[in-house]
Amino acid sequence: MERTLTASVTMVAGNSDPDIELVERYFAGDTTAFDEIMIRYERQIYRVCYRFVENRDDALDLAQDVFVKAFEHLPTFRRESRLKTWLYRIAINHCLNHVKKHAHEFVEVTEYTGSVGASAQTQLEDQEQREHFRRLVKQLPPKQKAILELRINEQLSYEEIARISGRSVSTIKASVFFALEKIRKLVKK
Amino acid sequence: MYRNDLDGGPDAKKMLSHLKAKDFVNLMEGIELPAKRRAHLDTCDECRSRWHALESVHAGVSSMDDDIPEPDWVQFRSNVRDRVLSRTIQRETAVRRWTGWAIRPAVAWVLSLLLVVGLTTVAVMWHSGKSSSPATSFLSPVSEPAAEAIEAVPEKALFDDLVQLGDEEQEQLRQILESSQKGSRYQ
Repeated sequence: MERTLTASVTMVAGNSDPDIELVERYFAGDTTAFDEIMIRYERQIYRVCYRFVENRDDALDLAQDVFVKAFEHLPTFRRESRLKTWLYRIAINHCLNHVKKHAHEFVEVTEYTGSVGASAQTQLEDQEQREHFRRLVKQLPPKQKAILELRINEQLSYEEIARISGRSVSTIKASVFFALEKIRKLVKK
Repeated sequence: MYRNDLDGGPDAKKMLSHLKAKDFVNLMEGIELPAKRRAHLDTCDECRSRWHALESVHAGVSSMDDDIPEPDWVQFRSNVRDRVLSRTIQRETAVRRWTGWAIRPAVAWVLSLLLVVGLTTVAVMWHSGKSSSPATSFLSPVSEPAAEAIEAVPEKALFDDLVQLGDEEQEQLRQILESSQKGSRYQ
């Protein structure tokens, strides 16, 4: 059964958290604080969005939506949770909704921006391998895919993903395992 | 099915000695396994080959990381600011519009109430004026019937009749009146 990623965050953050200080500054009327929040998290949020849509323009739109939503709902942000977790949760929920809404519109889009320097043959092989894995990962259910990518590519800890998704650490570990198992079986085919 | 590794099931007993999902994940994360598990891994080809396969999948998924193009972050922030600003303006306009709609019915109510009160006053004045003195009412129609007017003011009508008598008739009427006055004086 699919569950939405909306569980509450109960982690207590100390006053020394720079994110909380930025939020406090923003509430005190310092509008540059929101820019600083964007600078801290724009890349991470964009990357998460990119993994769902796999093209630059859509990922940028989604990432912008996430920050606009965050800006609008900042007054409802409970300061005992981490801003990073909160932003990731907004991003994941927004992307999942987007994928659900536009499921029929998605087409294979390949954008290669790899580094130049290796031989053309090696580059091509690397690109093909990446494309191959991208196609396999794409076959995972959206939530399982999100959890896998948050762990492997965004390098969030299992605890952080558990807080974002509102699930237990062991559930997240199992989810990563089953995602990798599924891909392993697809590779074998 | 590997789900049995986690939940237990018909094959649980058979799979008991094999590594579980959590063990594989811990291995990929570089977390040391308990001695018993480690000993099993060293002797079990199936678990070892699965671990290596999972590691290669893990590496493959990690390799996708290089492909994400970097956008113009200054432009990105500017777009977010613009959108936030335009939404703030939209929201304020909407609030103002709603406030306007809240005031408009009140104004309409007041105006319609004034209209009703005004019409009622005029109607009441019209009816009361008509019943007390229709001849003097400022709304009195000019086409009042003559017979009704004579009934209302008989002296004037009698005088009008008198004016219309001929000379002989007037003389006779005067004599009648004088004789009747004399009679009443002697009485």
